[in-house]
Amino acid sequence: MKRILIVDDKATSRELLHTVLERQGYAVSEAANGQEALEKVRAESPDLVLLDLQMPILNGYEVLGELRNDAAYATLPVIALTASAMQGDREKALAAGFTGYLAKPVALSHLREEIQRLLGPGNAANAGAIS
Amino acid sequence: MNTRNPDLNTRATAARQEGNFESRFRKLLEAAPDAILEVNPEGQITLLNEAAEKIFGYSRGELLGVNVENLVPAAMRGGHSQHRASYAGHPKTRPMGTGLELQGQRKDGSLFPVEISLSPNWIEGSLHVIASVRDITERKLVEDRIRAIHEQYTAELTAKNEQLEARSLEAEQANRLKNEFLASMSHELRTPLHTIIGFSELLTEQLEGPLNEKQNRFVGHILQDARHLLELINEVLDISKIESGRLELKRETFDFSHCVEEVLAGIHHHAANKKITLENKNRFQNALWADRLRVKEILYNLLSNAVKFTPEGGKVWIESADDGNLLDVSICDTGVGIPEAEQSLIFDKFYQAGDSRKATREGTGLGLAITKHLVELHGGHISVVSRPGHGSRFKVSFPLAHAPAIS
Repeated sequence: MKRILIVDDKATSRELLHTVLERQGYAVSEAANGQEALEKVRAESPDLVLLDLQMPILNGYEVLGELRNDAAYATLPVIALTASAMQGDREKALAAGFTGYLAKPVALSHLREEIQRLLGPGNAANAGAIS
Repeated sequence: MNTRNPDLNTRATAARQEGNFESRFRKLLEAAPDAILEVNPEGQITLLNEAAEKIFGYSRGELLGVNVENLVPAAMRGGHSQHRASYAGHPKTRPMGTGLELQGQRKDGSLFPVEISLSPNWIEGSLHVIASVRDITERKLVEDRIRAIHEQYTAELTAKNEQLEARSLEAEQANRLKNEFLASMSHELRTPLHTIIGFSELLTEQLEGPLNEKQNRFVGHILQDARHLLELINEVLDISKIESGRLELKRETFDFSHCVEEVLAGIHHHAANKKITLENKNRFQNALWADRLRVKEILYNLLSNAVKFTPEGGKVWIESADDGNLLDVSICDTGVGIPEAEQSLIFDKFYQAGDSRKATREGTGLGLAITKHLVELHGGHISVVSRPGHGSRFKVSFPLAHAPAIS
């Protein structure tokens, strides 16, 4: 089963994403800050990281920088997730090396499509009622 | 001699006969405004004119035979005799002390600025020097005054520039703070909306268990209003971006008719809820070079307004016409219409349709103001034709610009 690491300092946001993606048939784990994110990436080698940009300690850009500096994670799909909606945010994120960009609030259909585009469909047995 | 006018020549000859040439020459020198002195090799004054007496404050008798250094400021006298000696080495007509601030000394000891021109005059094999001394006190005063005015002006200009710089720095800072505030505000408002909208959506999907009809409707309300709140936040952000000139278009070439279809699909649900017929009469099938998302926003704003202000069973449609230079897109409805008195106000910020339009007041009152700005950013124009009770027609004209050729 494809593994996704959700990194967000807000527990409710993690729970939302976790619920949606688990139902889609992915194995999901969570990290509440950038430091924890780096540890979990190294320990669990996920197939994709959903990374919130604004976090205390290490922000999303710093986490991405650390990952991209490591040859093992140079091509790991990392999707930026942010509630900031200023003009140019998306371009900035993609230029920094993010694989994708999702703005909060993210429509669930859009989230599912984006993940599926990068990872392929989740495990059907676990996908439940999701078509 | 004047060869053209024999009369003048005759008169000149007469004058020569009348006066002594030497005395006439003396008068010429005496009439000069500058002091003219002749100094012998020993440095004694041998000849002077009236101006010399006047300028230095001595009588002719007091100056004749006196060393010329008496007219030089005490502090400079030592150097002066050396200068005289070196002039004897290169006796040519030239200004004295070029680039130096020369001064003369009057009988009363007072000093004044001078300009001196020197000429050699050989008399019986010995070098006499003719010094023409000009009192430049007045000129110096004028120069000083001009310099003072210039300096004052420069100082004022510098001060003004500094003020302006400080002010623009302040404005820049205020603008930066405002932008930072907006950015963080936007972020803080979206973060909870993300989970409100997300969990509401999850609930309506009923994947965690079925909802009864009422619960389903309630969650639908939460979802709808949360999305509405998001739209309002976006509008407030947009208007502030527009006002600070930070909203930039990202033009691209896209299929306009496809864009219209997308917007109509987005509005379809609202129209169906009110049993409003939605019609696409767009005929423009060419590519448009514009900001696709903003064009969609313009159309969406106008179409959702049309649906909002059209009673059940009415009709809303979009039509277009182009003449190769201008694309006119009209969004029309059979709604309540806009009284003429209000038509010029509806594009103003915060203006909201009154009770006469029989619709609940909702929204920020920014939708049309933003729409107008977006149209104008494209170099276009928006106008409205409406008759109360008969509907409205909002016409947007886009200049048909082309993408600049890639060099």
